[in-house]
Amino acid sequence: MQDLLWLVPGLPLLGFLVLSLAGGRLSRPAMAAVGTGSVGASAMVATLVALGFHEPFRQVLWEWMRVGEFAPTIGFRLDALSLVMILVITWVGFLIHAYSCAFMAGDAGYRRFFAIMNLFVAAMLTLVLADNLLFLYLGWEGVGLCSYLLIGFWYQDPANGRAARKAFIVTRVGDTAFAIGLFFLIAQVGTLDIEEAMTRAGSISAATAAALLLGGAVGKSAQIPLQVWLPDAMAGPTPVSALIHAATMVTAGVYLIARTQALFALAPVVQTMVAVIGAATLLLGGIGALAQRDIKRVLAYSTMSQIGLMFLALGLGAWPAAIFHFMTHAFFKALLFLAAGSVTLSLHHEHDIFRMGGLWKSLPISFATFLIGAASLSGMPFVTAGFFSKESILGSAWERGVGWWSVALVGVLLTSLYIFRVVFIVFFGEAKTSVAPRRDVLLTLPMVALAILALVGGWIPIPVGVFEPHVGVASVVSMAGIVIAWSLRAPLAFPGVDFDGLYERAFVRPFLRLANAVGRDPADAVSFGPAWAAATAHRLASATQTGSLRWYAAGIVFGGVVLLAVVLWW
Amino acid sequence: MVVILGALLLGGLLAWVAERWGEVWPRGVALMALAIAAASSLVPSWRGEVAWPWIPRLGVGFHLAVDGLSLLLVWLALFLGFVSVVVSWREIKERVGLFHFNLLWVLAGVIGVFLAADLMLFYLFWELMLIPMAFLILVWGYGDRVRSALKFFIFTQASGLAMLVSIVALAVFHARTTGRLSFDLMELQGTPLSQGAARWVMFGFVAAFAVKLPAVPVHTWLPDAHTDAPTAGSVVLAGLLLKTGAYGLLRFVVPLFPQAAAEAAPILMGVGVAGILYGAVVAFAQTDFKRLVAYTSVAHMGFVLLGIFALNPMARQGAVLQMIAHGISTPALFIIAGALQARLHTRDLREMGGLWAVAPRMGAVALFFIVATLGLPGLGNFVAEFLTLAGTFQMRAWMAAVAAAGVVGAAIYALSLMQRSFHGPHREGLVMSDLSVREVVVLGVMMAVLVGLGLVPQPVLDLAGGAHVGP
Amino acid sequence: MSGRDVVSLLPMLMVAGGAVATMLVAGFWRRHRLAQRVTVVGLALGFVSVLWIDSETPRHVTTLLVIDRFALLFMGLLTAASFTIAVLSTGYWDRKGGRVEEFYVLLQVAALGGMVLAASRHLVSFFLGLELLTVPLYPLIAYSRAEDRSIEAGVKYLVLAAGSAAILLFGMALLYAEAGTLEFGRLGGGLAPAGLALILVGVGFKLGVAPFHLWVPDVYEGAPAPVTALIATVSKGAMFAVLLRFLQMTGMTPSLEAALGVIAIASMALGNVSALLQDNVKRLLGYSSIAHLGYLLVALLAGGIDVAAYYLLAYFATVLGAFGVVMALSGRDRDADDLADYRGLYWRQPGAALVLVASFLSLAGLPITGGFLAKVFVVVSGLRSGLWMLVAALAVTSAVGVFYYLRVIVTVFRKVEEAPPSPRLSRAAGAVLGIVMGLLVWLGVWPEPFQRIMVSAAGALR
Repeated sequence: MQDLLWLVPGLPLLGFLVLSLAGGRLSRPAMAAVGTGSVGASAMVATLVALGFHEPFRQVLWEWMRVGEFAPTIGFRLDALSLVMILVITWVGFLIHAYSCAFMAGDAGYRRFFAIMNLFVAAMLTLVLADNLLFLYLGWEGVGLCSYLLIGFWYQDPANGRAARKAFIVTRVGDTAFAIGLFFLIAQVGTLDIEEAMTRAGSISAATAAALLLGGAVGKSAQIPLQVWLPDAMAGPTPVSALIHAATMVTAGVYLIARTQALFALAPVVQTMVAVIGAATLLLGGIGALAQRDIKRVLAYSTMSQIGLMFLALGLGAWPAAIFHFMTHAFFKALLFLAAGSVTLSLHHEHDIFRMGGLWKSLPISFATFLIGAASLSGMPFVTAGFFSKESILGSAWERGVGWWSVALVGVLLTSLYIFRVVFIVFFGEAKTSVAPRRDVLLTLPMVALAILALVGGWIPIPVGVFEPHVGVASVVSMAGIVIAWSLRAPLAFPGVDFDGLYERAFVRPFLRLANAVGRDPADAVSFGPAWAAATAHRLASATQTGSLRWYAAGIVFGGVVLLAVVLWW
Repeated sequence: MVVILGALLLGGLLAWVAERWGEVWPRGVALMALAIAAASSLVPSWRGEVAWPWIPRLGVGFHLAVDGLSLLLVWLALFLGFVSVVVSWREIKERVGLFHFNLLWVLAGVIGVFLAADLMLFYLFWELMLIPMAFLILVWGYGDRVRSALKFFIFTQASGLAMLVSIVALAVFHARTTGRLSFDLMELQGTPLSQGAARWVMFGFVAAFAVKLPAVPVHTWLPDAHTDAPTAGSVVLAGLLLKTGAYGLLRFVVPLFPQAAAEAAPILMGVGVAGILYGAVVAFAQTDFKRLVAYTSVAHMGFVLLGIFALNPMARQGAVLQMIAHGISTPALFIIAGALQARLHTRDLREMGGLWAVAPRMGAVALFFIVATLGLPGLGNFVAEFLTLAGTFQMRAWMAAVAAAGVVGAAIYALSLMQRSFHGPHREGLVMSDLSVREVVVLGVMMAVLVGLGLVPQPVLDLAGGAHVGP
Repeated sequence: MSGRDVVSLLPMLMVAGGAVATMLVAGFWRRHRLAQRVTVVGLALGFVSVLWIDSETPRHVTTLLVIDRFALLFMGLLTAASFTIAVLSTGYWDRKGGRVEEFYVLLQVAALGGMVLAASRHLVSFFLGLELLTVPLYPLIAYSRAEDRSIEAGVKYLVLAAGSAAILLFGMALLYAEAGTLEFGRLGGGLAPAGLALILVGVGFKLGVAPFHLWVPDVYEGAPAPVTALIATVSKGAMFAVLLRFLQMTGMTPSLEAALGVIAIASMALGNVSALLQDNVKRLLGYSSIAHLGYLLVALLAGGIDVAAYYLLAYFATVLGAFGVVMALSGRDRDADDLADYRGLYWRQPGAALVLVASFLSLAGLPITGGFLAKVFVVVSGLRSGLWMLVAALAVTSAVGVFYYLRVIVTVFRKVEEAPPSPRLSRAAGAVLGIVMGLLVWLGVWPEPFQRIMVSAAGALR
């Protein structure tokens, strides 16, 4: 069974290859079948592997390269952490793919969509299964590329292209820190094999390495200060957002820190930094979500905030809790996106929540599923998955100090505030738009499946740890949030830190100015200078060619005098 | 090895003559010549050393030798030779025979450079490749081609003369200690030089190679030459001619002047880093497809310079791999630029946009090579840049860190290129045909090679690593 | 004078006989072809006899001349060059029309003068040869009587050459006053520096090196193309030969080296810089010759007699190829000396264009031509003698020079809408140009056989 591990990322990759190389000859249903089927098959394989899982193992396909001691492999390693990851990624990914079959039905880029989605899943699976950091980096960048392509999927609109490039470039800033971290590790421990590097990490300056890796994680996971790309990334089709927010991409940073937590444990300063970044993003995302009009942007800020919560957990050393929350978050966030997508689909792609209202009647399934997702997100006690994971994080925060705990508590309050505010605005009140409900079993089934997971997912035993939930202050706070949300249905605006404007002024504009200044390549002076000198010399020399005989004779006499002078006085 | 050179030189002459029988003949002859050359490069027993006396009075020998590094680059040259012939099938309509003559002679010159084990013979080949290259730009080029061809030629020739003086000076210094004049690389290695002399002599070599590489600030011939060259010219220029500069640094500068090279290394690494950053910024500001790609070459070859002078095995491996990977990815982008120009009669990015809608296949292929350019893992360029930077980091960490910023720059210009050509709003009336089967096959093979380099680079690294110092 | 002496003078006698015969023939029959054939036969016999003469031991014929390998090498070169000019110029004169028989007479006399210079070992024969070479050039330069430029050039050359010859003569007199002899070999070490300097003025004028070069472009431009070719090859080559022998036999002094070094650098720099934007091909070749004589002086200063000889051989082939094409393209009214005349030449006359391109590549010192290896040899010998400054100047100025040579080549390959009609090459001219080009490539690819000749010739001077 376990020999099949390579098929887990291999099957979606195969799907990508089939779709991109031979897909032109396929019919649209066949495209959908290949695209969805490959991820589904991968999910089945992952489940099979999970059922046979006893202890961590690795599967090396081949040695990637060998330069001296440095010999990374193309190889996978499965342990408890990656097992959870692949199950979530493949199953949630599969549901999103199935949903997309219907959601993208009319789109001209159907094949391109599925091809890139498959590649996205394959890259993410590579990321979490890689047995060394270089191979992980391959998946990491692959995820970045696919997110770029999918955010800018509707390429004709320049705004989408801008959002896509922003996502890629901002995350690449983080990736570069990550890459430098890899150079540092190679220089210090001579290997990128995760197990080995972690065991040898004690002998090096772990703080530097951890800080550099954190840079990468912050970029991918949209944490302060590299969070700016995530809200704009809503430009892509909704299933893409679901995939980015739930199963792939943004959780990569969480995974990376969890994966290298041995390193972070050796660097308490950096670990605290992780917690601080997480806490800040948790609050910033929550407040940001309150100020949005676009339903998808609310969810985007929500993701930012929830990942912040996971970072907080990681920073407090509670990585199993973070992973647990990653899993439940994948369920309810995917659900929220798919439900939001079904709403916008029925409203002719209307995204503004203040133009919606009273939809609970016309879109009952969307309403029910969104409500379940919202409840799970805000951590409704016992009946939702979110409750369990959130409680476990709060529990560890409590252990580390009341300060952390209260920050997390504020986050919880904000969460239920903004999400139920959306629920109330969108589904209650009076109807403001005409509704053309789209009924498609392919839309509904994944939502229902995810809704079930969002409810009972907290009971799934995961091998990274055992969690004991207890009802406490958090539940009360979260309930209070729902109540307050009812009174906050009007549009809100906060003066916030304008990160976009700041970066625009600090980086974008100077870069553009620089590019403008050097665009004509001032270094060309190296050719103009000598050329000018030669031309001037030519003019001077030509001036001696007067054509006059007297002058020529004088030249000879002059030469004679010079020669005489040289030979007589040398 | 003589067969390779002979096939190309004679094939060139024959192609020229064959022009009178029809347009297809020169192409066929060129392909035949390349096939013979390729076949003989694959037969190991034909790769033996050749050492004939040539100008015995000066100790100059017709000495060819091959090692892993040379062999890799010879293969690259022959591969790009095939590519050039195929991409010129439609583009070149005039003077087909003369075109293929020039093409094959450039290749012969380049391959000669990679094989020569005698400095004077090396210089002969070095100069030999310039004229036909300038002709390719001059006769079949676009725009202000005369100026570009002259600029290219004068830059390379002026620096080449500096190298000639250095070559002779080295041989003369060697003759002073041994009493025997010789230009053989093996003999000249380990010539004792005073510190000052070594610096000056090395300077001549570095001047020639830096211009060819090209390194900032003597790169300015490159954008002009690329922009005005025909597609095959750009392919050869980017894929091969630039590599001769890097090859020269690897083969001559570092082994011949170990101490002086170590002294100069920080400066040259700095130049490499400057090239990476400068190339990235200037590339972003371009509006001409080919010009933009030309500046990316400046950035990429900055990595090569950095890798060579990090003087670290890992960085060196990276530099060699970068030579090969860049030798595939950049020519491919030039082929796409050529395909666009043939269809739209413009290279101006301001007049493009949304081309994916009309040519999705070309868009996808372009995307592939653009992400290769920005160093996406899984493709050859990534492995190369990674090894270069990882190796550099061990020597001078901060330089690697600064150079890594160039990777962000690469993302900026690469994506902006993609946005301005294939993405963005599609304009009414901007229609064109998608890639033809011929183009798809050529580019497909190049894609496969890049993926191969990215996932299984070890054979190349083994060959490059097996390159002992000097043939 | 013994019979053996006569035999060793055979090349000169053949050429002299050819000149006399041509004159006689022209006196009776004014027929161009006839005069040309006689000339060609005379020069060919002269060349063949050079090959035939046993050159193992140098033969002193009187105190004036010596027939050694060096002399024979240059006699061969000079007769071959004159022969080539005679063949190539036929079509040129055909188109020009008028009475052209005297051209052939004067050509042979000039060649004879050059041969005397090559064999001279005495100041008297030096001056004799010089005048024998120079005097025919006066009428030759002004040969196109209908053209003002030609007349003007002739007059300029006459005045300047006569003046510089007078200076040279005065220098010789000073030497004689000092040493009491006129034989090179007995002039000995401590030569009167002033006398040397004045001789150098005369020689420098004939070689057209800076600062005595001002006449070169005007005369190159004004003289008919065959005459320009003659000046570029026979006149300068013979002068260089005698300079080599003179300096070799009298010995160099540091002050002389300094003077020649200055001349060399000035020539390389001025020649190349002046040619940069030149649109007249003949003027351009004139400037180029200034620079090339500068390169040759580097070889001379480096003591590389064989290198200088090799360079001269390559330069002869190069210049003859270039002027051969100029002659072939020139029409009735004027020489094809405007760069515009060469626009798109390749598309009209690929053969002629290739010869021209090969010649200019060789002038620029690019492979695979004689000029390439010749320049490499100069650099090698220069650096072996430690002439760092001179070699550096050579490299820098050559880099400048590449521009204008390439400019011509570029023009040849430019596309033109409408091609001006141009004359076709005769078969003989085509064959000769083909041989010249073959030689050019041979010199650039397989120098060994020629080098052996040059080294043994150089050995005769030691």
